[in-house]
Amino acid sequence: MEALHNLAFGFEQALTIQNLLFCAVGCVVGTFVGLLPGLGPLATISLLLPLTYSIPTQGALIMLAGIYYGAQYGDSVSAITMKIPHASSIVACIDGYQMTLKGKTGLALFTAGVSSFIGGTVAIVVLTFLAPMLGEVAFLFGPADYCALMLVGFVCVSFVTTGSLLNGMAMCLIGVLLGQIGTDVNSGVPRFTMDLPFLAEGVGLVSIALGCFGIAEITKNLDDRNERTPFNGKIKLMPTWAEFKRIIPSALRGSVVGSFMGILPGGGPVIAQFGAYAIDKKFSKYRDEIGSGAIEGVAGQAAADEAAARTSFIPLMSIGIPENAVMALMLAAFIVKGIQPGPNMIATHPDLFWGLVASMWIGNVFLLVLNVPLVRYWLSVFKIPYAVLFPSILFFCCVGTFSINNNLDDIYITAVFGFIGYLFMRLDLDAAPLMLGFILGPMLEENFRRALLLSRGGFATFVTRPISGTLIGLICIFVVWQVAAFFLQQRRKAAAPGIVVGEF
Amino acid sequence: MNDRNLVRGLFIMTIALVFGLGSLRYSIGQFSRAGPGLFPLMVSCLLFLIGLISVVRSHYVARLPLNFNLKNIAIILASLCGFALFSQHLNVTAGILFMVFCSSFAATTYSVARNLKVAAGLMAVALALHKLLGLNLPLI
Repeated sequence: MEALHNLAFGFEQALTIQNLLFCAVGCVVGTFVGLLPGLGPLATISLLLPLTYSIPTQGALIMLAGIYYGAQYGDSVSAITMKIPHASSIVACIDGYQMTLKGKTGLALFTAGVSSFIGGTVAIVVLTFLAPMLGEVAFLFGPADYCALMLVGFVCVSFVTTGSLLNGMAMCLIGVLLGQIGTDVNSGVPRFTMDLPFLAEGVGLVSIALGCFGIAEITKNLDDRNERTPFNGKIKLMPTWAEFKRIIPSALRGSVVGSFMGILPGGGPVIAQFGAYAIDKKFSKYRDEIGSGAIEGVAGQAAADEAAARTSFIPLMSIGIPENAVMALMLAAFIVKGIQPGPNMIATHPDLFWGLVASMWIGNVFLLVLNVPLVRYWLSVFKIPYAVLFPSILFFCCVGTFSINNNLDDIYITAVFGFIGYLFMRLDLDAAPLMLGFILGPMLEENFRRALLLSRGGFATFVTRPISGTLIGLICIFVVWQVAAFFLQQRRKAAAPGIVVGEF
Repeated sequence: MNDRNLVRGLFIMTIALVFGLGSLRYSIGQFSRAGPGLFPLMVSCLLFLIGLISVVRSHYVARLPLNFNLKNIAIILASLCGFALFSQHLNVTAGILFMVFCSSFAATTYSVARNLKVAAGLMAVALALHKLLGLNLPLI
């Protein structure tokens, strides 16, 4: 009952005309800026953060949260329609873009919107009732457990993207290695920087995302001599009842996965999307269609993404530790406003905490009733001939890269990754696992080194701890199953030459 | 050599070698007190192994041809680098003009009038980003 009382208090705070306005403005502006190819949630929040400086604390935080959700939805729109994603919508590119190629853009966008609403709602229930308790789940995880969790993420990603464990793992590891570029946090030694000062801080996530996805995709379309974007400009938003029924179970599964993954530092929206996608691919009634433009492929990941985005506020607000770059920016916004997130935040600033929680759900409603119907008008930008559109996309890629550090040198890095992304594409190496490896690589190294330090160099710590032991056991079972399946298929192929053999 | 699977394996092995040999320049340390080179070396070894398996595997699966068209990617990269270079040494307006006119060589048709309109539109957007969002673009 206390939780309900707190939530009612939060709604009392959030439902003032002023805060409703801030929330609506945040959602709409966030969606619009996030919609622009090349500008993901991180770049959007970075760009719009100064707008909130002159706004009262509660309104500013509510508006920033609205910008975050809006940018996430806008980002998934550009991922679904043009295959130009950021970290928050990498998985949306897989089935969402396939749906666009099949002329089902409207259905994909509606599915993403409704699933995000379901994911956000479930996450808010989790946040309200379990925030204090779930915040402590993170304390159960030691360094070895974090390592095992990240390895599970890698295996999930490798499994869900290309369908080839070898290629997926290779890309994950390449991502991990790219994450090593920059200054080593333990020793202060610059690694793989080639004595270039702008590499001392490492390679920017946005540069890799825009290079490997945006630039590579533009070049592919140009190589294919496409006159227009694959999005045909026609939108039929409302699904049939049969299609709508397919959204719900997948979105609920994604919501549960996302709510759980969002709480764990090292988890968050990216790994949650992949986790939900893998679970859908395993348990969905329509699992055979996933990967080729299935509703479930969009619904589960969108719900997980949104749910994890909401629950990732738990470590920030209850422990004071941001788990990703977006949360780090939110932490910066809190500090600018004179608020130090941490265990005492709920007790000392209940109006802020519960007001923000309530505004998350209000933001969800705004996204659903404002953005989903409006998206057909905003998408008219994509009816433009490709010869006009692609220089504009290139420009937004440049602006997106530049806006992170206000540094034009980052555009050269984006260009380098554009070429590498093109090579990956031509070699059938999917860039999505690379992104996950890059994001989790530094955390993996930090926890790996810490685990070995604590165990005095003994690798047994990875199998003797209950959590990491279980997770590594699951990975081993999965790998053995994949290898066995490959050899079984090879044997079947030898017995019956007509069968198509899957990849290992 | 025109085998996508084989080239993929060799490409993975090359990346592993670049990072693996590079990591030997740093202290490896011990497992209990790892140096900055240990982790990248371990990951590179694993990646090299995967590359090796890919190369071996390529001998047992059907050959797929490689399809590279370097013209378009070269034009796009030149446009990006030109934009950065012009923006650094002149201003973003010159950068936009260069990028639009250069990148359009990759399109199916080329039109100076269309390029001028696109460039004008992008300059307006850049101005809006500068004035409304405070993006620190060197416009003039």
